[in-house]
Amino acid sequence: MSETQRSTESRHDEYYEIRIKGHLDARWADWFEGMSLTREGDGTTVLYGPVADQAALHGMLRKTRDLGLALVSVIQKKKETNL
Amino acid sequence: MNIPVLASKLYIPVPRTKVVFRPRLIERMNEGLERKLTLVSASAGFGKTTLVGQWADGCDRAVAWLSLDERDNDSTRFFLHLIAAVQSIAESVGKSAFTAFESSQSPPIESVLTVLLNEISALQFKIVLVLDDYHLIDSERIDDALLFLLEHLPPQMHLVIATREDPQLPLGRLRARGHLTELRDIDLRFTPEEAAAFLHQAIGVDLTADERVALESRTEGWIAGLQLAALSMQGREDIPAFIRAFSGDNRYIVDYLAEEVLQRQPEPIRRFLLQTSILDRLHGPLCDAVTGQAEGNVRLSDLEKGNFFIVPLDDRRQWYRYHHLFADVLSAHLKAEQPDQIGSLHRRASIWYERNGSADDAIRHALAAKDFTRAADLIEQACPTMAKLRQEATLLRWLKALPDELVRRRPVLSVWYAGALLTFGKSEGVEERLRDAESGLESTAELHERPDIRSASAVKIFVDEAEYRRLPGSIAMYRSALALMTGHVIDAMNYARLVLNLMPKEAYLKRGAASALLGLTSWTSGSLDEAYRLFADGMADVQQGGYISDAIGGTNALADIRIVQGRLRQAMSLYERGLQLSIEYGDPVMRGTADMYVGMGEIHRERNDLQTAMQLLLKSEEQGEHTGFPQYRYRWHVAMARIREAQGDLLSALDHLDEAERFYVGDLFPNVRPVAAMRAKVLIAQGKLREALEWARAHGLTARDELSYLREFEHITLARLLLARFRSDREHSFLQEAIGLLERLRQAAEEGERTGSAIEIMIVTALAHQMNGDTPAALGSLERALTLAEPEGYFRIFVDEGQPMEVLLGAASKKGLAPKEYVGRLLEAFVRIEGKTSAQPAANHSLLEPLSERERDVLRMLRTELSGPDIARELMVSLNTLRTHTRRIYDKLGVNNRRAAVRRSEELDLL
Repeated sequence: MSETQRSTESRHDEYYEIRIKGHLDARWADWFEGMSLTREGDGTTVLYGPVADQAALHGMLRKTRDLGLALVSVIQKKKETNL
Repeated sequence: MNIPVLASKLYIPVPRTKVVFRPRLIERMNEGLERKLTLVSASAGFGKTTLVGQWADGCDRAVAWLSLDERDNDSTRFFLHLIAAVQSIAESVGKSAFTAFESSQSPPIESVLTVLLNEISALQFKIVLVLDDYHLIDSERIDDALLFLLEHLPPQMHLVIATREDPQLPLGRLRARGHLTELRDIDLRFTPEEAAAFLHQAIGVDLTADERVALESRTEGWIAGLQLAALSMQGREDIPAFIRAFSGDNRYIVDYLAEEVLQRQPEPIRRFLLQTSILDRLHGPLCDAVTGQAEGNVRLSDLEKGNFFIVPLDDRRQWYRYHHLFADVLSAHLKAEQPDQIGSLHRRASIWYERNGSADDAIRHALAAKDFTRAADLIEQACPTMAKLRQEATLLRWLKALPDELVRRRPVLSVWYAGALLTFGKSEGVEERLRDAESGLESTAELHERPDIRSASAVKIFVDEAEYRRLPGSIAMYRSALALMTGHVIDAMNYARLVLNLMPKEAYLKRGAASALLGLTSWTSGSLDEAYRLFADGMADVQQGGYISDAIGGTNALADIRIVQGRLRQAMSLYERGLQLSIEYGDPVMRGTADMYVGMGEIHRERNDLQTAMQLLLKSEEQGEHTGFPQYRYRWHVAMARIREAQGDLLSALDHLDEAERFYVGDLFPNVRPVAAMRAKVLIAQGKLREALEWARAHGLTARDELSYLREFEHITLARLLLARFRSDREHSFLQEAIGLLERLRQAAEEGERTGSAIEIMIVTALAHQMNGDTPAALGSLERALTLAEPEGYFRIFVDEGQPMEVLLGAASKKGLAPKEYVGRLLEAFVRIEGKTSAQPAANHSLLEPLSERERDVLRMLRTELSGPDIARELMVSLNTLRTHTRRIYDKLGVNNRRAAVRRSEELDLL
């Protein structure tokens, strides 16, 4: 996905925080397109970023399923800049 | 076969090496055979495929296996493979179902499944069908079909589904009824004993109890984790240190271990693993082509021996795949380490597949490589085959994956695009694509005129030279179809003529299609003789080109035209010839066969042989919907409605017309008897004038309209409405309007030589004069109708008019009106169905054959909201027995569906 596309889409994007069990290597950031990846002290990893729509969100959850990752929570967030 | 069946998808992946035997799970699966469904639903890496493969290997029933992939979301592909899987263990099963797919692009799944299930229920032995990786299916159509399959599962068959997520089936209900055995994460994870046995086998060293506990608690019995851990420990000196480090780490197990494993591989193997992760199936020579290394076969075999997350796809060990989870990990590493390599890896795979004859895979990898020019070339070459196989859906998907500006630059692809859209009945975008193609043609023409710039900007815009040369003809043909579809008859005609000028003689299909299109335009504008001639020419070409089924389908148009012309005999022999053709070429049943039976039934109905008519309709139903053309269901219900009408069962006639409306798909045939008008005719007979009036208003019909063939039937029906209004209101102007309209209609029909229409018009005219008290005029009109109708053996066209016609014919008989003997036979027809000619006779007579006590029970259930299977359970009978009961009830009530049965039973006050 190119930068220009991102900026035109982002107005409609919802932001999501997906928390999974275990520390995920940084190389997976590319796998979960456009999500930032933060390893937390409690042994979980947080994927955070814009998600175009529900279908995209489910696609992302499917990826966690396919890697055998245990899902801890999925939360819809206000875009960080709005906070 | 439309889509080649991949044998590797049907192969049972029996593990060859180092597998822990799991008797507790095998036992549960064996017990599960008593139930309908075994669901192995667990996360990635829990050993589902291994377990089920192992179980299947030792199972005392024949096991059919189907490994699913994303492309199986195309339901045709899914069911072709499903049928092939069952056929691999039960040869007698599936032949008709295959035919269904051959003869139609997307036959109704339920009808195909019903055929399949019937064949399975005839088997002398029991079978199991395994669907592996069902989570890859994301199609409501397939989910629904699977539920249908489960609900009708014969006792000979057991279904196993292995998946990473619960399928869209009513699991709660299945569970509650004891139809379901489930194996989930908690069942599949290794117990401490199994883990110990596994580790012992895998690394050949016994771990201490503490070490084992540490590993187990870190992996939580997750098999993929333990397997990776074992791989990392192989040949390691300091295993305790490894376990300590691993269990103290928070990282995602796969990340931690895969890195360990990959790091310990020699560079060529590591490279091999990463680079081949772009392939969904692994094959020695293919891997060599992608990696540029040699001895891919040996590598794959070594990986299998080393327990390296690799699954065999055939007995001869020629094709493998990586375990999906492992493939994901490898490709994540590839993406992170060699992102710029990925495109060229895909390109090499594409080239290999092209050379080895798999266009589909070659195109897929070219698209993944984003090498769109290459993909476009491949797609263009694949187009003729895809069109012949009626795989327009896939074609369209490919074309949409290409950048649009590329497609627009390529005239051959643009025309294929337009053609594919038209096959789906889409007119939007077609003209645009055709224009793109034309401007492509013009620009090459320019290049030819100016050789100086030719070499400089020689951008290839096509690869299929033969198709390119025929483009002007193809463009004209699609324009013609588009024009006809959007109601521009003159344009359609002109373009079709252009096709005939442009296309060479041996282009049978396209020339035939163009003639047929011309025929349709003539038909639409009411020139029936010309329409017949052109359409028949077209069908002769189409048949010559080997498209037999399309030629049979064309019979529908030819016979329709003959019927309007009042030539029932010729129509009948056309259907007979069509049927003959289908028998000659059909193995076992040709598409179009079902339509022929419907057509023949329709003529028998007109000749008052209702029993034969009904038998023919049932016979056509037995052939299966897949042997009919897209309009088959619609035609069937219209024919049935008219039989019901003849039987005096107007309610049921309306039901069938409603169904017909539902199944009507607009095609290029002119819609000269719209369902709404047929409905209105029945409503008038029922005396529901208000509703009929609404119909006339909604369609803007008045007695002063300009007349055209397309609206002829609507106007005749309007005249009937006016007469009915006169009868109820005694308002004379209605009668005058009707007579005026009918007179104009008669003239128009006679001018257009539409004898069939003329007969009906004269009959209604006769009734109008009779209402007006003008018996001589009535008899005059009737006599003309009789003279025209007698040679062709018309009956119902008179008899359906009911009592007023009976009176009129009686008067004719007294006066000795010619043809005398014919009048006598018509009058007999009234006598024979005495009491059935009034508007709603069905309500007045009870059943010829009373319902049995059991049938009453079933009927009571039919009046509830319960589904078929629920009723069967409630009455404690099998679904098949229930079907026998309902079939008998419908026969006795003279209805054809549940709703009508309920309605009829209420009318007759049966319960």
